[in-house]
Amino acid sequence: MNGFLESLSYGQWILHALVLMPVIGIPLVLLVPERMSKHVALGITLLTFVVSAGLWWHFDPGAGMQYRSEVAWLPRWGISYAVGLDGISLFMVLLTTLLGPLSVLGSYRYITERERGYYALMLALLAGLIGCFLALDLFVFYVFFEIMLIPMYFIIGIWGGANRLYAAIKFFVYTFFGSLLMLVAIIALVWKVALATGELSFSYDHVLRNAAAAGDLAPWLFAAFALAFAIKVPVFPFHTWLPDAHVEAPTAGSVILASVMLKIGTYGFMRFAVPFFPDVAMGDPVRTIIVVLAVIGILYGALVAMVQPDFKKLVAYSSVSHLGFVMLGIWGGTLASVQGALMMMIAHGLSTGALFFLIGMMYERRHTRELAEYGGLARVMPIFALVLTLVAFASIGLPGLNGFIAEFLVLLGSFGRYPVAVVMATLVVIVAAAYLLSALQKIVYNPLDRPENQGLTDLSLREVLVLLPLVAGIVWMGLAPGPVLRRMEPAARAFVEASARTEAPAGRAVLGQGEVAR
Amino acid sequence: MIDLFSPMGAVRALLPEIVLSAWALLVLLVVAWRHRTSADCRLAGWLSAAGVVASAAALVWLWGSGARSTGLDHMITLDWFRFGGAAVILFSAFATILVSIRYLDREGLVAPEYYPLVLLSTVGMLFLAGSADMIVLFLGLEVMSVGVYILAGYDRRNPASAEAALKYFLIGAFASGFLLYGIALAFGATGQTNLQLIGAQLATGPASLMARLGLALLIIGMAFKVAAVPFHMWAPDVYDGSPTPVTGFMATGVKVAAFIALSRVLIVSFPGFDQVWQPIIGALALVTMIAGNLIALAQKNIKRMLAYSSVAHAGYLLVALWPGTRLGAAAVLFYLLAYSLTTLAAFALLGSLGTGGERDVSFDDVAGLSRRRPWTALGLAICMLSLLGFPGTIGFIGKWTILEAVLAEGQYILPVVLVLTSLVSAGYYLPLIMSMYMKPEGERPAWKELVLAQPGAAIVFVTVAAVVVFGILPSGIVDASLRSAATLAQTVMPMAGR
Repeated sequence: MNGFLESLSYGQWILHALVLMPVIGIPLVLLVPERMSKHVALGITLLTFVVSAGLWWHFDPGAGMQYRSEVAWLPRWGISYAVGLDGISLFMVLLTTLLGPLSVLGSYRYITERERGYYALMLALLAGLIGCFLALDLFVFYVFFEIMLIPMYFIIGIWGGANRLYAAIKFFVYTFFGSLLMLVAIIALVWKVALATGELSFSYDHVLRNAAAAGDLAPWLFAAFALAFAIKVPVFPFHTWLPDAHVEAPTAGSVILASVMLKIGTYGFMRFAVPFFPDVAMGDPVRTIIVVLAVIGILYGALVAMVQPDFKKLVAYSSVSHLGFVMLGIWGGTLASVQGALMMMIAHGLSTGALFFLIGMMYERRHTRELAEYGGLARVMPIFALVLTLVAFASIGLPGLNGFIAEFLVLLGSFGRYPVAVVMATLVVIVAAAYLLSALQKIVYNPLDRPENQGLTDLSLREVLVLLPLVAGIVWMGLAPGPVLRRMEPAARAFVEASARTEAPAGRAVLGQGEVAR
Repeated sequence: MIDLFSPMGAVRALLPEIVLSAWALLVLLVVAWRHRTSADCRLAGWLSAAGVVASAAALVWLWGSGARSTGLDHMITLDWFRFGGAAVILFSAFATILVSIRYLDREGLVAPEYYPLVLLSTVGMLFLAGSADMIVLFLGLEVMSVGVYILAGYDRRNPASAEAALKYFLIGAFASGFLLYGIALAFGATGQTNLQLIGAQLATGPASLMARLGLALLIIGMAFKVAAVPFHMWAPDVYDGSPTPVTGFMATGVKVAAFIALSRVLIVSFPGFDQVWQPIIGALALVTMIAGNLIALAQKNIKRMLAYSSVAHAGYLLVALWPGTRLGAAAVLFYLLAYSLTTLAAFALLGSLGTGGERDVSFDDVAGLSRRRPWTALGLAICMLSLLGFPGTIGFIGKWTILEAVLAEGQYILPVVLVLTSLVSAGYYLPLIMSMYMKPEGERPAWKELVLAQPGAAIVFVTVAAVVVFGILPSGIVDASLRSAATLAQTVMPMAGR
């Protein structure tokens, strides 16, 4: 496989292609006839996925940041379009490209009006997400971070449910608020670095090497970064936009939002906020605050999910709980916990994505998401029942499925540092079982007592095709997590080392040289 | 090299202004005979547009020839800062004229004197932006203002338009008084009216009370013109009451000229006084951003919302002015361009959504616009995103330049307030997008039978395209604005510079 990829000089164009292909697809989708647009969008996203799949083989875990490429953009300000990929972003990119075609395919029947616009926005959203994970320049990262708000805003606002306008503006304003303060922090940090080293550059590496120049400003800058990412994750108490956005968004919007967009937040912590300011992030009181908030999020998300009558809202709150595990893992500070956090990001992406698809399929049939409206679907929709059961088990963290590996690694890795938090989080696994199993029971297993439900048809071939890759991923990563863990290990180790670097001697040394040079 | 003291040198240095003045008089002569039918009116419009192009050609020639003055800038400057500002002003005039050609027809405002007035006030703006001397600055300001006073009241059957003109005139006269008094005090403190010589003279001694007072009055006079809070009271009523293309012209051309002049006065004449003027500018910026954005939030009709939003943008520009550095001056220039392009397009598009000055076009009236008129909706949506400062538009690069300039000085309050008030502005820019795209068509869509006719549509298309293209590839313009600011810094007298 690698020989074949080398013969295409795969490494040189792949990252640019991943961003450019959806972008080029936008005018294509807009130009073809209305009924053709979904097929074109599917073709483009499938092609993007196929091309990105080569990364699985071609990626060299030991090589750190690779496939680097830079194109000058605004040379006067030291801004260039710089991209690269490491073991952290690899899986986020693959997750995004995998969910791309599935989201398009999953929207085939759900979206019936203004299809061209919808699929064009979907492609823009994917391009923004992929670019965000690849960016190695703070300006580029910020642009992608913001630009994806617009397609999501329109997807919720135009194709969403009854209360969509409120949800759309809430989603926009929350995220925009965080990112604006981060914008100030980015420029302030870059100027601090520039004054210390004599080089104005938004390059990620340059800023990372000299981030110690932030000096007394570091806590403030960290706070700005952390706020932007915490809203995106969302960390309790910044989560209130999430249930609204999820419930109102169309199926594919929810899928992308939960599976990929939330990960931008945790990815941002791992890529920017923590490595830039390890002293602040891993020192007191920030450490305590984050871990406490993470545990509250885990508990709160699970408890609130338990009382939701609306299945989509239930899953939305369970996301808050799952992402709390990711935050705990990031701050756990060991290889196991960080790998667990990364696994959790992937596992949540797959299982929650599948759950939202399944909810969409229920909704397309019955036009309600109320748990009480269902019951006994196993009788009429056996394939659906099977998939839902399996995915719910994965979400609960049943051994043999990927959610278990992730939760286990996080809890194991974090126990040394935060035993109390880990014990409390472990209890939640029981609550999670309670809310998901009771939902499962209400939908699938209770008596089939409603006449409306008796005539429901089982999943079509298209719907099975949407779910199959996700289910396959869930089972495969649960049974054989080795290949995935191996690929992310060096990057996770590098992150652990970077975050343990409390006094940053290397940074100071470089800083000294810079001052001499100036 | 141009010797500004010789007659030929002065003619060369003033070529864009001379061409435009002569052309305006020519058009005036033509309309003296042909002013009855709407065909006459259109003829005057096209003639005037050609005049702006001729003036722009002169500007390009002057800019391209790399002309510098030998020694002191006498009466008029020869730096990139003037040329850059002039380019934006001429574009604003050009776009305004093209949009007006069909707008005046539709509104039944058949009086071709409109176009010479636009040209003459443009001449005033060019002088204001290029002034090297307080006298020229004042003359430019007056020529500009008198033209715009009349334009504001151009729809003479409309009481709101008359009110706008009267209000603008009274407040404008008041502001001129402040400015003139400021000039007089600066002259009293230094014995000079030349901007560079004032700077040089002030650098020799401690800051006298008279000079400080003069500076404060100059700032107040200019603050009226750029509609900074608390000197903004006139702006919403005037912007609201004027014919919409005129509003676009006022919100861009006037603001560009006044900001260029204010930057020049502060940086060239009072470089050592930054302890005095920085707090004033900073405070003005803070209240302007906060008040402008909060009041805009409460507006129900689009034109008034845009009026208050232009007040808010004056606040952002004051933030750019605050550092008084090369980066700051570059940010002022870049933001003026970004803001002007976006605002011109927004007002032109608004002009196609209603009649009678579009004062009654509310957010609900454009509901469902995206289905009936997708291009207008797309254009307006892009303008709103650019005004909001969203990536992918020139407005974002503009805000970025401002943040760079201010954060380079280690000032954090102004940037934080700037981004937070930008967040507030999402509360009135987004509902417009929301209404156009996400709401079903309303009962009384104002825009049902109207269209944006050529040539207005063409210039709006070009402008919106520029908003996007320069938002993605801003490198050339950023470089140009930095070079412009650098040439401005060169005109600071060596002993006065920091």
